[in-house]
Amino acid sequence: MSQKAKDFFEQYKAGKISRRDLMLGAGKLGISAATANFMLNAASTQALAADFDWKKFKGAKLHLLLNKHPYADAMIADLDNFKALTGMEATYDIFPEDVYFDKVTAALSSKSSQYDAFMTGAYMTWTYGPAGWVDDLGAYIKDPAKTNPKYAWDDVLPGLRASTAWNGVPGGALGSADAKQWCIPWAYELNSIAYNRKMYDKAGVQPPMNMPDLVEKAAKLTKDLGGPYGIGVRGSRSWATIHPGFLSGYANYGQKDLTVGADGKLKAAMNTAGSKAYHKLFIEMVQNSGPKNWSTYTWYQVGTDLGAGASATIYDADVLGYFMDGGDNKEKGNLGFHAFAPNPEAKAPTPNIWIWSLAMNSFGTQKDAAWYFMQWASSTEHDLFGATKTDFVNPVRASVANDEAFKTRLNKSYAGYVDQLAASSPGAKIYFTPQPLFFDVTTLWAETLQKMVAKEVPVDEGLDQLAATIDKQLKDAGLG
Amino acid sequence: MTAETIQAPRRRRKTKLLPYLLSLPALLVCVGILIPFVTAVYYSMLRFRLNLPAMKGFIWFDNYINFLSDSEFWNTVRVSLLYTGLTVGVELVFGLAIAMLLQKQTRFNNLASILLLLPLMTAPALAALMWKLMTNPNFGVLSYLVQLAGVSDFKWASAPSTALFTVVLVDVWVYTPFIMILLLAGLRSLPRQPFEAAALDGVPRRFVFFRITLPMLAPYMITATLFRLLDSIQQFDIIYSMTQGGPGNTLLVFQVRSYLEFYQYTNVAKSAALLVILWAITYALSNIFIKQWLKLRERARGSA
Amino acid sequence: MEHTSRLERIIRIVLVALILIFFLFPIFWIFLMSFQTNEDILRIPPSPFFTPTISNYQALITGKLVSAAGTLDIPFMRNLWNSVLLSSVSVVIALILGVPAAYAFARFKFRLGEDIAFTLLSFRFAPPLLVLLPLSLYFQEIGLTDTYAGLIWVYQLIALPLILWIVRGYFEDISPDIEYAYRIGGHSWWRTFTRIAVPLAGPGIAAAGLLAFIFCWNNFVFALILASADKQPVTVGSLAFVTASGIQYGQIAAAIVLSVTPTLAIALYAQRYLVEGLSLGAVKG
Repeated sequence: MSQKAKDFFEQYKAGKISRRDLMLGAGKLGISAATANFMLNAASTQALAADFDWKKFKGAKLHLLLNKHPYADAMIADLDNFKALTGMEATYDIFPEDVYFDKVTAALSSKSSQYDAFMTGAYMTWTYGPAGWVDDLGAYIKDPAKTNPKYAWDDVLPGLRASTAWNGVPGGALGSADAKQWCIPWAYELNSIAYNRKMYDKAGVQPPMNMPDLVEKAAKLTKDLGGPYGIGVRGSRSWATIHPGFLSGYANYGQKDLTVGADGKLKAAMNTAGSKAYHKLFIEMVQNSGPKNWSTYTWYQVGTDLGAGASATIYDADVLGYFMDGGDNKEKGNLGFHAFAPNPEAKAPTPNIWIWSLAMNSFGTQKDAAWYFMQWASSTEHDLFGATKTDFVNPVRASVANDEAFKTRLNKSYAGYVDQLAASSPGAKIYFTPQPLFFDVTTLWAETLQKMVAKEVPVDEGLDQLAATIDKQLKDAGLG
Repeated sequence: MTAETIQAPRRRRKTKLLPYLLSLPALLVCVGILIPFVTAVYYSMLRFRLNLPAMKGFIWFDNYINFLSDSEFWNTVRVSLLYTGLTVGVELVFGLAIAMLLQKQTRFNNLASILLLLPLMTAPALAALMWKLMTNPNFGVLSYLVQLAGVSDFKWASAPSTALFTVVLVDVWVYTPFIMILLLAGLRSLPRQPFEAAALDGVPRRFVFFRITLPMLAPYMITATLFRLLDSIQQFDIIYSMTQGGPGNTLLVFQVRSYLEFYQYTNVAKSAALLVILWAITYALSNIFIKQWLKLRERARGSA
Repeated sequence: MEHTSRLERIIRIVLVALILIFFLFPIFWIFLMSFQTNEDILRIPPSPFFTPTISNYQALITGKLVSAAGTLDIPFMRNLWNSVLLSSVSVVIALILGVPAAYAFARFKFRLGEDIAFTLLSFRFAPPLLVLLPLSLYFQEIGLTDTYAGLIWVYQLIALPLILWIVRGYFEDISPDIEYAYRIGGHSWWRTFTRIAVPLAGPGIAAAGLLAFIFCWNNFVFALILASADKQPVTVGSLAFVTASGIQYGQIAAAIVLSVTPTLAIALYAQRYLVEGLSLGAVKG
């Protein structure tokens, strides 16, 4: 590398030039983006190498299954460092999110050994774990021969560690003493409010204080703005509609999806008075000020609308607002972030979370080598690299979340994001009851929501029917 | 038809084997597929969920019997048949009308018939994506045009009342050209004499259409309908990418449901049982059509 | 048709125009979209006026998407190539297998003939998913998972019945007399088949091949389940523009346009066979 190029990176490290300028400058000097990233993180990789035999599986060839996502992009940008550190080869298959989990199910259900590790969410491991498709990673983490002494598992936020560990008993508490670590948290998102500050100013509205307030303000925004709608939430016929804002608010009202009896039997709990009241609020909000095509809305439409100025607010993943506040989006720089406790009586937000995690294929043939990759990809070094240099947010490690460089970077570009994160994260965890029928229950739930929003069935009756149907399914599966 | 007359008599033994030799490779390639088919039928008689391995067991026909009392199942049957009836019916009428409009061999008509094939070349999964973009409530051009026309609250695939209409519209857009091209080919190959004679005699055109055109076109219509029927009752791509079976359970057709049962709920047995029933319905329907087709061909051959 | 009145002619023209608008407008609109930036596409209300850009095509063809977030690799051209490979090889194999079989069913009445024919057609009745679920398990065992060969085999389910059905009808409508005369002239059966029967049925074979090609091209679920990312066709590849940092609508549009182009090219080239070839009895005379 030329002296000029080296100087360039030194300048960057000293904070004299921005990442963008660095990349542009590097490009002019004939250094590709990948090489540039490689050099950026090379120093920290050297730090990682001390005291642990990273080269143990030199020459091994790993194959990964990844979802098309900025987190995967961040990992790929840093992948050369992994190769240099371990002497292993790592290749990957990337599938579009629309079909990603079907592809995972297809690969695992056919007992394919093709992939060594893959991206997943915690909910999916409630299927993969009992089916015997993924390994308990607790055994690896605890084994000093397999895990770098500097790995610092305890640095990973406790709520995330617990949320990705389950004992496999339907209804069993997440993170219990006998729980198995089905996957390693990689980066996560919690659900809160992101809003368009310009629109709020125009309509003279402050960020909502609670759910009734949100219902009211969303309606006012829809009316006053003349064009954009008040609130974007997901509505497609899928589990994905239930888990973001909807369940976060539901949990804030103290409601449960299922209850576990003394005999360990599960029972649907959507038909309580409290649940019905919350459903009514949510449904009124969607009917009056939600997107017109709500029942086909997935997260990316929720995001695109906010970014394109078609909606004023979203109650969805905080990182979705984050992504829409940057990039090529029309409303970039106009968004605000706001921690949200829907229940007027609640003291703090209770956001449900989505954790992009890494899991190990049980049918894989080189598990120890795969674990090397997983611990590298979830190491403090990679997390810090991702959080400060790419869009690998929210970081799962406390040390990274508290890192000054990270906080400064976010505060500079994303108004209120760090405060939102700090206010929301203490109550952030998975609020679902872990059990193998998760997708059956949530899809049915979304179906019922759609019917109720379309006024095909009144809320009280719809929820009674839903609970009855779920109870029957639980019973058929021997869980209820 | 006397096929044997083609063959020289002394080679009769060899020719007896010939047709088997000719059709065997094709059969062998397909028979490999029979094994998974049988496996699926076996799965459908189990209690079998991949994420509840402990409860796996052989239960004979319980999955099927459970369907009988399951209103969701009957909803699936109803929606599937409705969807099939609507799409095939509309496409047949449309396809026939377009074929008749383009019947005359002119440069323009030939070009138009090729251009009309464009939707068929758009993969249904992508066509659904296209229509989703066009019916987006914010920037979708169709939503905009509908709004200009004074309908302000048209929700396309997102409202239970219009979801079926929307997916049928996309299906019609994609597959009418298939029927059109088959019927156009049929129309252009019809012998001229009956039509000329009818014209000379001043027979009313409606009479010509119903008594001459339609009956002569029947084999083509049956072929076209058969192929569309098979695809339509097994519809997956368009519905899944547009609504995933929603809103509510409005569009939960067989393949969408069984796809969800397998890839989301990992309920292998239920998924397989649904598909076996779908297979049975398809088999029965096609049988009727093929019998008709063979009969018509025999008759046509007899009169020729 | 000679007795058409003026009014009728006008009605006809209007109807044809309406039909062309209905079937071609969506394609036209997507075509326009493919030359727009995301910003232009997301304008409210939509407008047909914009400054065209070829950046969408550039990104697809070079495989590099440059955005504010950095450079992303998109293997779209690889997807396109996979589609070409899978569809054309599948159709060629289906023709090699299907044409002789179709000839056998059309020319010979043999024991079980109709049953075999019906069995072959009935593969089209099986819902694709029904076969796919167990097949993914078996493929794993016999090592066909994630191979082009395995995929091409499964694609026969789409191509073969269609070819059999159409080509058989075509053979049946060609008079066997010509073949008979040629045989009398002392030529072998094989020579008769390749020199007389197949050329005579050419348009039918071409049309059936084209339709089979289109249906293979449009398939979505087979490759998704059975193969890894480097063997996915355009139908799966076109979904890759939905990313967490926004949907690349312009590139989706460009991908759709590119994915239609090869089939359209073949159809235009083969257009004179298409209608003639599907008309089964056209040459009966």
